Amino acid sequence: MTKLSSLNSSKTILELKNISKTYFSGSDTFYALKNVSLKINKGEFISITGPSGSGKSTLMHIIGLLDNPSSGQILLNGQDISNLKEHQLAQIRNVTLGFVFQQFNLLPKTSALENVILPLLYSDVPQKDRYDLGIKMLEKVGLGDKVKNTPAQLSGGQQQRVAIARALINNPQIIFADEPTGNLDSKSGVSIMNFFKELHEKEGRTIVFVTHDPDLAKQARRLIIIKDGQIV
Amino acid sequence: MLKPSLNELLKSSIRSILKNKSRTILTSLGIIIGVTSVILLTSIGNGLKVYITQQFDSLGANSIFVTPGQVFNEDGGFAQGGMMMTTSFTQKDVLSLERGLRDSIIMPVNAVFADIKSANDLKKSVEIDGATEEFGFNNNVLPPEGNGRWFTKEENDKKTPVIVLGYNLAEKLFPSFNALGKKVIVKGKDLKVIGVVDKKGASMGGPSVDDQAYAPITVVSDLAGNEDINSIVVKAPNKDSIESTKKEITKIMEEKYETDAFSVFDSSQLLSSINSIISVLTIALSGIAAISLVVGGIGIMNIMLVSVTERTKEIGLRKAIGAYPRAILIQFLIEAVILSCLGGLIGILLGFLGTLAINPFFPAKITISSVVLAFGVSSLVGIVFGVAPARKASKLSPIEALRYE
Repeated sequence: MTKLSSLNSSKTILELKNISKTYFSGSDTFYALKNVSLKINKGEFISITGPSGSGKSTLMHIIGLLDNPSSGQILLNGQDISNLKEHQLAQIRNVTLGFVFQQFNLLPKTSALENVILPLLYSDVPQKDRYDLGIKMLEKVGLGDKVKNTPAQLSGGQQQRVAIARALINNPQIIFADEPTGNLDSKSGVSIMNFFKELHEKEGRTIVFVTHDPDLAKQARRLIIIKDGQIV
Repeated sequence: MLKPSLNELLKSSIRSILKNKSRTILTSLGIIIGVTSVILLTSIGNGLKVYITQQFDSLGANSIFVTPGQVFNEDGGFAQGGMMMTTSFTQKDVLSLERGLRDSIIMPVNAVFADIKSANDLKKSVEIDGATEEFGFNNNVLPPEGNGRWFTKEENDKKTPVIVLGYNLAEKLFPSFNALGKKVIVKGKDLKVIGVVDKKGASMGGPSVDDQAYAPITVVSDLAGNEDINSIVVKAPNKDSIESTKKEITKIMEEKYETDAFSVFDSSQLLSSINSIISVLTIALSGIAAISLVVGGIGIMNIMLVSVTERTKEIGLRKAIGAYPRAILIQFLIEAVILSCLGGLIGILLGFLGTLAINPFFPAKITISSVVLAFGVSSLVGIVFGVAPARKASKLSPIEALRYE
């Protein structure tokens, strides 16, 4: 909770300074990201968009602390985390970030509730509080009656809601969503987007989502367009 | 602090193992077979030891055996070429032992190998031990009541042609009727059957008591055509005097023979030699069986590698939401250990049932140490062969893993 209180003093949660990501193929150097600088402030609703191969996924992975930049600095709540070890980054992801994926990535043959509380397994939340918290989150995403259902027994939209409940369970500072509607029919897609908007408007959640769909991207308050590894 | 806690890891591992029941059993099969055979073999080895000890106890207590040649080597094992009759003793040796050991009973034995024939022409090649009147009682080969008797001193002195048959021998020579009082022919000489020994089952090396015959030593000397003494059995007055009697015998015999020309030993010595042979055999056989534990371990490693590949996305997700590498490592390691321990437990159960099943036919005795060892080894196998897949899982990059289809 110390991290949450520190963010009141500084409005910027995450800051990228001159981030580059390079890949080598033979003697050629390929820039997936080139000198990208970016600030994510508390309460923002940001979309990252661009054509495929533009580097938007790489950017997403780097701000999601899933991948290391080749050069540049990442500041989280003012602290430089560029040189942290893998297990320290895992810890930060666990308590600070929430992830929603295109493929939902729920554990098969595992109940919705068990899926939702999965991040708590790696946290300090006492075991006895986990299930209550999980049920609360499932109720919040409108699946209070599907607690025991496995992913196979849920529709695509419902599965993505379980995934959102899982992303919310740690009360993260930023929620990242990677093409969250990409695997859904248009009706479920709209409802998921509306849910994200609701989280942003009613709770002041900070949300960053990646999409290749320009119409969807426009629904965000702030639009980051990326092309050839650079923000335009 | 370990996150998730060990008990949560155990729970989730058991859950994931139960999701694939048939695969779990098939994976554990190698370990099951290995542990079952190790337990069965050690049970049989131990049972054999207990059985032989019992048989030795029944074969004349406080008996000391004096034989020509070296029976034991310096390590307590059997000497090479031991039990071979390179020389023999004489009647004079028996007399000097009798003079030197007033409290002990000295029983010379002259053995002859010959065909023994019954009146209805059934023939068997056997060892006939020429012995004294005290031998039957002191070596526990006295015919039981109703089955005849041992020969007397008078019969021995007068060279009366009588014979006592071992149980199997009597059955073979006289399959359909009682052997008592019947005649058998050895080297053209008629001998009267005066007793049949009960079934014994074991022997002090050489042919089983059940397959041999006993006759007065004077009769056997005539049959053999010599007065040789092949071995001398000395009955010590009590258990505590066995060692001192052995020393005394050695001293007396050394007056005439080189130290390495004869052996003096008691049944406990023989027993420990046989037991050490059984131990070596048991260890060797269990070792061979243990190879299947290694094979089983490789099976587990194989399946765990498949499982890591199958669950690449799950691993990526867990890492993305905060699982640090070691948490993933421990999770997969625990799964491998549970698989092999499960195999170990089933193997122990099967080994136990197998031991019970063969017990009526063969002496087998399960030991706690073999169970503990089998279980320990199988969990060790799980750890050793689980490390490679678990490391592979823990090193997966979360984005690569999430991207995996």
